[in-house]
Amino acid sequence: METVWDVDKIKEILPQRPPFLFVDKVTEIDEEKGRAVCVKNVTINDYFFKGHFPDNPVMPGVIMIEALAQASIILFAVLKPDIAAKHPDYLFGKVEAKFHKIVRPGDILLLEVAKKKILSSGGIVDAKALVEKDLAVSAQITFGVKAKGS
Amino acid sequence: MAKKKIDFNIIKKEIKKLISEITEIPQNELKEEADFTTDLGVDSMMALEIVAAIEKKYKIVVPEEEIPNIRSLNNIYEILKKKMK
Repeated sequence: METVWDVDKIKEILPQRPPFLFVDKVTEIDEEKGRAVCVKNVTINDYFFKGHFPDNPVMPGVIMIEALAQASIILFAVLKPDIAAKHPDYLFGKVEAKFHKIVRPGDILLLEVAKKKILSSGGIVDAKALVEKDLAVSAQITFGVKAKGS
Repeated sequence: MAKKKIDFNIIKKEIKKLISEITEIPQNELKEEADFTTDLGVDSMMALEIVAAIEKKYKIVVPEEEIPNIRSLNNIYEILKKKMK
């Protein structure tokens, strides 16, 4: 898998930091189509496995949604680089999601996001999380983008 | 071949239904001239959803600079009339 953005570049855009940064690298960016693919390597060291669940590590659905939302911010930054460079606040608006598969330590989670509509003030994104070719989550994410302090 | 005539009364009904679904405001309370923000409480993310839904349904593109001008149902009808001519 090619690395288009490494974690240093990701940290220039995403405000999240470990243990709440869920994008390890970006492997595909298609500006014209408005599409990006990111990777989250799921490992037993991820903090949430300690409690979710003891002796039965299952990646929480909300964390997968968060990972897809972080991938959506990266897509936004690709399409609206001038706005992203100013480090605005990114806010969840609405999430509609279906969960299809249990994700466990050792899985490589592919986060595929494609724009439905991106404006300066926010966006709607079709998002999928896959393990190999199997769909784990499908979601539509609506988010707002606001300049800090506005 | 005669050009297919667009029936705007049907489109108006469709749009009202669509906006009612997004805003969760009953159709009979959606007045044509009501201001989305001040009268109906539509926030910027609902506006985004409305624009995306209309673009998808009628296969048009609403440029970003036109979106602030969409203040009411009547504004949407006007934009669609212009785009679908």
